[in-house]
Amino acid sequence: MHKPETKTAGFGWLIGFALLAILLIVLPHLLSFSQQEILVMLVIDVLLVCSYRLLTLTGEWSLAHAVIMGVGAYASALAAKELAVPVPLAMLVGASVSAFLAFLLSFPLFRMKGFYFLIGSFAAGEVIRLMWKWSDLTFLFGGPKGIKRIPSMPDLFGIDFFEPVNYYYLCLIVVAVSLLILYRVERSRIGLTFHAIHWQDKLAESVGVNTFRYRMLAFVISAFFAGLAGALYAHYVGAVAPNRFDVEEMVYILIWAIVGGTATFYGPIIGVVTLTIINEVILRALGVDEMRPMLYGALLIVSILFLPDGLESLVPKTKAWLASRKERRENMRTEEVPAE
Amino acid sequence: MTKLSKGGMDRRQFLSTTAAAALLASVSMPKIAFGAEKTVKIGFLAPLTGEVAAWGKPGLDGCHIWADWINADGGVKVGDEMLKVEFVPYDDEYDPSKARAGAVKLIKEEDVKFIMMLGGDPWPGASQVAEREEMLVSTLLPSDLTPDTEMLLAPCEVHPIYNVTGVEWLAENKPDLKTAVICAQDDALGKPSVATYLAAFEAAGIEVLDEPIFFDPATTDFAPIMSKMLALKPDIICLDTCYADYVHPLTEQAFQQGYKGQMISCTADFYQKMVEKTSKEFMEGFIFQFPDFDDPKLNEPHVNFKKPNDFYQEYLKRYGAGEWSAVSWEYASIMDLWADAATKAGTTEPTDVLAAMKEGGVGKHAFGEADWWGEKLFGINNALVGLWPVVAIQDGKAKIQDFKSIPDWWDQHSDLLIKHMKALGQMYYQRT
Repeated sequence: MHKPETKTAGFGWLIGFALLAILLIVLPHLLSFSQQEILVMLVIDVLLVCSYRLLTLTGEWSLAHAVIMGVGAYASALAAKELAVPVPLAMLVGASVSAFLAFLLSFPLFRMKGFYFLIGSFAAGEVIRLMWKWSDLTFLFGGPKGIKRIPSMPDLFGIDFFEPVNYYYLCLIVVAVSLLILYRVERSRIGLTFHAIHWQDKLAESVGVNTFRYRMLAFVISAFFAGLAGALYAHYVGAVAPNRFDVEEMVYILIWAIVGGTATFYGPIIGVVTLTIINEVILRALGVDEMRPMLYGALLIVSILFLPDGLESLVPKTKAWLASRKERRENMRTEEVPAE
Repeated sequence: MTKLSKGGMDRRQFLSTTAAAALLASVSMPKIAFGAEKTVKIGFLAPLTGEVAAWGKPGLDGCHIWADWINADGGVKVGDEMLKVEFVPYDDEYDPSKARAGAVKLIKEEDVKFIMMLGGDPWPGASQVAEREEMLVSTLLPSDLTPDTEMLLAPCEVHPIYNVTGVEWLAENKPDLKTAVICAQDDALGKPSVATYLAAFEAAGIEVLDEPIFFDPATTDFAPIMSKMLALKPDIICLDTCYADYVHPLTEQAFQQGYKGQMISCTADFYQKMVEKTSKEFMEGFIFQFPDFDDPKLNEPHVNFKKPNDFYQEYLKRYGAGEWSAVSWEYASIMDLWADAATKAGTTEPTDVLAAMKEGGVGKHAFGEADWWGEKLFGINNALVGLWPVVAIQDGKAKIQDFKSIPDWWDQHSDLLIKHMKALGQMYYQRT
């Protein structure tokens, strides 16, 4: 009895992915020019928030993730601009520098847990951000104005990556591969260990799990992909500045994760997609520019009040509602048959 | 349950479908202009929300008054036609990626013929789009200018160079003041301004005590900064180009810590609140660079800004007395320049308007005839520089003391300014 159901479910997933892939390929052609620009940023933000979720699997919430994204952006920009490293390679350099920095930060930060880790990560992030602004390092990081005229992705087979649609496809491929890796990590034994550390770290330690190393691993992997998101950003926008990676950006990452939910892989994706569409498309289109922060804030409050488990909790609720509706209809049909 | 159609749609479904359709329509449908009037669209790409909104939003408010007045007079004469002006705002949130999306929307979707920006951090995001589309863009921050930015103009506020006029006036009128201290937030706005004040003080023979104090923009407690400054016992406290969020607490701290000397600042936005929190006596003689436009001196013949006193009254009527800021008139004054150039060019095409604007190397700046200038400092002559007012608070009200010439100061002291700009890494060729 089980085999046919599994096959049907697998087939359903396949159809679902195929439809999603078609939608993602067609999507930019259905949007206006400015919406295509927003779409590029959205895809980068999806990678950013999903990389953040990997760290939260171990139970630690960092306030340095935006800065770590910035480290990737700065490193990639400097590699391409100052060392003439080809942009694709510079992006990998940027991601690797972020990962290496996370590795170094692990030693002081993972001596702390919970709230202390949160504050410690914030302090570490601010030190890095202030270093970018430091007068004595202006020759390297550009001070408060940051780095401008960062080389963009070079044309490939005549494809101009300055065009948002082309850059979107590039980001889509990079982000899809990255999400696949993040998903596989989570579903592997390593991912299960992350969960174990989150819920029962003392128990995990008692059975020989080196929680420090696993926390470090989550932080490093998460930082690598955050750095990659930063590199994708830097070579598209062409400029990076310390303020772009400040606490406000970090608050956005937290909001996307919290509103979307972090219990499932797709939760933060739902969060970032929904909130970006509301903030950047709907509220802008309504012509209420100055009211946007207020309306955005009100929506967040409503969402947290009525969906405390995040938007992801709507998925099982919708499934249950559809199933009960189907059941009701079937019941009604069976009741109507004798009457006829 | 009421069925609205034979298809079985109930009221709830009908309402939700209608609401969704209306929302979708508002998002996806282009706005349709009815009537036969020809319109030229101008983009307003500046922060309308967030920390820097005080230098965007009041400017947009001023532009609305400008547009209403111009349109009531029939519009801008371009060739044989009178074109009504419509402003299309986009909130860039002081973020380069949003500025890029905004520039794309304004140029490709709204077909604007000119974009006004605050400049600063968002400019690099919009610059490549503007360059590719050959769009004429204005900035209030000439530090955005480089030899490559041929389509970028600083036609109104040549920040921070005009700060020299305040120091020059102070040296002429209060020669007993011999020492100064400077503090500024450590950012792209603060640093070039510090270099300018250092040059201005040196030119005026005023000694700057100790190194300028650079504080982090995230600072919220200004008491230690003011204590450190007061410990040096200066004749002048210079607040550089601090944001209003810093000028206010710093001034309050100076008051609370018993300072009785001279203060000078680039801006004193919403200064009435500072007077309320300190006293009229304390604020007496506070020097800054941005007048209220009800000032009778703005009716002097060299001033090109049209009906400044009426503009100020209208602004207060629409938005309230507390909303007037340094930028309330600036974007509107840029529009005067653009409208004149479009009329002269007989077209709204950006490259033609730019050529008409820079014809003869001079232009009608808000405060008088001015030169297109800046090659030595920015690598390009795209900043319009002439007279600038020196404003002092007298009996709780901002009053213009004099108009001083920036080019005259530059002719005598350019080497000083370049020296200090270089020392702080602010020359165009030092920027990364």
